[in-house]
Amino acid sequence: MDNEKYIKGTHRLGRIFTCIVLVLLLLAPFIIGIYLKAMPNMPAVIKGFLSVGIVYLVSGIVEYLIYVPMLGAGGSYLAFITGNLINMKIPCAINARDIVGVKSGTPENEIVATLSIATSSLVTILVLALGVLLMIPLQPVLQSPALQPAFENVVPALFGAMAYKYYRQSKLVSLIVLTLMTLLFCFVPSLIGSTSMMVIPSGALAIALSYVAFKKKMKPAKEAE
Amino acid sequence: MELLGKLNSPVMYLICGGIILLVAIICVIFGVRAYKAGKEMGIDTGKMKRVITASATFSVLPGVGILLGVIALSGSLGTPWPWLRLSVIGALHYETQVAEAAGEAVGLKALSASEMTPEAFTTIALLMCFCIIWGMVLMIFNGKSYITRLMSPSAKKKGESAKEGEQAAENKAKKPSFADTAMTAMFIGLVSAYIASYIGHVISGEGSFSFAGSPLSLAVAVVSALAMGLFLFIKEKAKADWIDSFSVAGSMLIAMAAAIFMGKVM
Repeated sequence: MDNEKYIKGTHRLGRIFTCIVLVLLLLAPFIIGIYLKAMPNMPAVIKGFLSVGIVYLVSGIVEYLIYVPMLGAGGSYLAFITGNLINMKIPCAINARDIVGVKSGTPENEIVATLSIATSSLVTILVLALGVLLMIPLQPVLQSPALQPAFENVVPALFGAMAYKYYRQSKLVSLIVLTLMTLLFCFVPSLIGSTSMMVIPSGALAIALSYVAFKKKMKPAKEAE
Repeated sequence: MELLGKLNSPVMYLICGGIILLVAIICVIFGVRAYKAGKEMGIDTGKMKRVITASATFSVLPGVGILLGVIALSGSLGTPWPWLRLSVIGALHYETQVAEAAGEAVGLKALSASEMTPEAFTTIALLMCFCIIWGMVLMIFNGKSYITRLMSPSAKKKGESAKEGEQAAENKAKKPSFADTAMTAMFIGLVSAYIASYIGHVISGEGSFSFAGSPLSLAVAVVSALAMGLFLFIKEKAKADWIDSFSVAGSMLIAMAAAIFMGKVM
């Protein structure tokens, strides 16, 4: 199978499966409504959407524009179906890509990203399914107050490890971005509650600084050519 | 409480479990296709197996974290619905916030089983689904053209054959490209926003420059970074590349264990 044929098939399957999952997901509340004999309150849905949904509309578009180039076709369809992009799928795909040393935009990256996201999604589904099965006997252990600080800090634990890995690749850019973002959060503490939205200016700043550094680094090489 | 019984009934497990099963089948189909295509393209099967192992080990701990999100929501929404939401386009960070906002929109004072009504539940369920469908919608209507534009703009313009396009991509990959720098930069931006928010919380979380915020998240991130440093040091000294497969998950586990002890002190 050549790469073009594979990608074409991936788009066809991806679109079909995404449509099916999307329709099922939006129908599910109505099917449950029939079972519970109570349909969703549409004015409340619109009200709720206008208060919180707009934020996710913007972040959904931004996530799409930023993450699709990282994940390729197969990885993107799967990642957008299964979710948990920032906290799991993206670091997982990048980790896999780094381990085997493939470059963005290559056929290898397409295969590696798809394998990585498919595996990650299956493991998550399995962990959740097992967890749901075991939930009744495990609930007292998992909800024990002694373990709560551990589970409440999964995200800082993830970002600490990833910070070490990525900061050492570009120390100056990291230092500038971290300092400016810290100052922003210190002077406008209300933004702490919207950290996921602050990823956008933080990422844009890091990309802009990296672009300047990249151009500077490439200049002597171009002149030598 | 009668409603919570209905929300945990076999009918609910059947509806939610059925959709989750379909998603699992889609993952298997995509994974098997990618593995077969990789083999036919000449990608080393050892490399692909390492990707699978690394991704599986990487996902276990965050998976447990997501499971805790299910547990957290199961008290008010029953178990099957949070199980579905966090398995299909779910996001650990967003679900509780959307559920609370939806509850507010239908007039609930708090997201709790005692206040929940069937109408409130179906409204919350629809809003939870509707708010984060945009990635899927964009993939359906724009994914193909966006990815095609990203992958081979030069090949499309010049009318090159697919093989020539692949060769061009391969040659391009050998040269230093800004794409990889940009990906690293994006990740630096993402990580920096979160680490900075932890520092900001310590300094101004309880009032501007009051230095009264809890330092636990920041301390956990620091422990995790130190553990990662140790893993990479061992990897480089002992030339043990296999450590890469476990370094992120291992660092997280160490930091999460440390959080239990630090939580008592802070």
